[in-house]
Amino acid sequence: MNCEHCQELISVFLDNELDGSSSAEVREHLALCEPCSKVCEDLAMIIDFCQLDADEAVVPPNPQALWCRINNVIESEVQAEIIKENKEKAARAEVAAQAANTGWLPRRWNFSFMQVASAVLFVALVSSVLTIIGIRNYSGANNDIAGINAQPTLFEKILGKVGLMETPQQKRERILKEREAAIEYWNKRVEARRAQWNANLRDAFDRNLNEINQAVSEYSQILQENPQDELSGEMLDSALDDKMELLREFSEL
Amino acid sequence: MNVKLDKFLRSSATIKTTILLSVVFFFASFAAPQIHAQKRFSKAYSASKNVRLQLLNRTGTVTVEGWDKDQIQISAYLEAPAANIVPVSLSGTILINVVKDNQGRYEVGNVNFLVRVPYTSTVDIETRMGNLNVSNVRGTLVRAHISSEGDITLTNIGAPNVSAENVIGDIFYDGDVQNQGSYRFISTRGNINLRIPFTAGFKLVATAPSTRNISLGAFSNGSMKFVGDGRRVIGQSGDGSATLTVTNQRGSISFIQR
Repeated sequence: MNCEHCQELISVFLDNELDGSSSAEVREHLALCEPCSKVCEDLAMIIDFCQLDADEAVVPPNPQALWCRINNVIESEVQAEIIKENKEKAARAEVAAQAANTGWLPRRWNFSFMQVASAVLFVALVSSVLTIIGIRNYSGANNDIAGINAQPTLFEKILGKVGLMETPQQKRERILKEREAAIEYWNKRVEARRAQWNANLRDAFDRNLNEINQAVSEYSQILQENPQDELSGEMLDSALDDKMELLREFSEL
Repeated sequence: MNVKLDKFLRSSATIKTTILLSVVFFFASFAAPQIHAQKRFSKAYSASKNVRLQLLNRTGTVTVEGWDKDQIQISAYLEAPAANIVPVSLSGTILINVVKDNQGRYEVGNVNFLVRVPYTSTVDIETRMGNLNVSNVRGTLVRAHISSEGDITLTNIGAPNVSAENVIGDIFYDGDVQNQGSYRFISTRGNINLRIPFTAGFKLVATAPSTRNISLGAFSNGSMKFVGDGRRVIGQSGDGSATLTVTNQRGSISFIQR
């Protein structure tokens, strides 16, 4: 028997399906031929392994236990689903009940297109007005009388009439009042001290205060006649500053 | 008879003269201290070249002169009732505050200062009433402020920052106008005269709203414009790097070529 013929018969040999003479020939060749013997060993190992794996795979599970496990899993999942659904239903019912009590939420969103458009327009208008007022107030924050003589725009006039913005006259009056309050304060301090001064100092103070007062009244008169006279506004501002400074400096004596 | 009478009359005249002179001397001995009771205060400090003098006076004249010494010399003439003067030298600044040093004292006589400072000093002087004079100073700042009335005279000044302000009184400035400098002269009633170099470069805002009396002299040029019915002049001379602000509420403004 040659190797080729032997290897063809190995599989049948391992299955014990060969007749006695052929099986003896194969056994004799395997005893003498190492390569064929090796092939036979490998094939035998494969067959053994397959038989072992097949044995495990076909081990029948305990069908009752398996069904119990499946049943438990299904029941737990179904119960969780039912609880979740119940909770959601309860929450929806609560919200619906609240809405029914107040009667506000459902109607809130029932706007027509015109209503929404009007609301958007209104919000845009209000925010624009507020922005403009803010910018105007910020840019005109300096308390100079000179700075308020600029011709008001139509928009400023409208805002002034509505009461959302100071007119130049209102602003001037406000600044003048603030200055007058400060001047009055320093004047009181001077009055408390001037009796103690010598005659020369008193006379000099009166002379200088009178000079500044004349300038103040001169510019005030011009501004009454022509409120837009920027230069007079500036000079009035300067004269009032001078007056305040004179009073403050003499109040130290 | 006549001789006797004559002798009698002569002796009588002598007695009268003697009595009269005695009375005069008697009163004069009381009056004299009141008229001439002028005390003198003097103090000197060694100073660096860029020392700052800061002086606030109540009433009286203040004169500050630059000199070629690294020393500040303060002399003051105090009229009765004499004021207290306590100068303080504080990290490169000499401080004299007569108002603070006499707070609560209502009767204080004039104090007339003469202060000599190094040429390059900074000078900041102020008084409630009286004249201020500064000359030969070229530090970083010259400031002269009178709260009420008094003349301000600044001569031979070479500082980049100059400020002079009073209510009633004249202001005279004779000095440089430096590049990037700032010059401010403000009065309510008086004459402001500025003598500056013809080549000076400055931007000008000069305002005399009551009198409309602004005389530019040699500095009148095409860029100088009268605005606000002639109450203000705005313009530029030379490169216009310095700023010159002059305001005289009820007086005149004149520019003179130096």
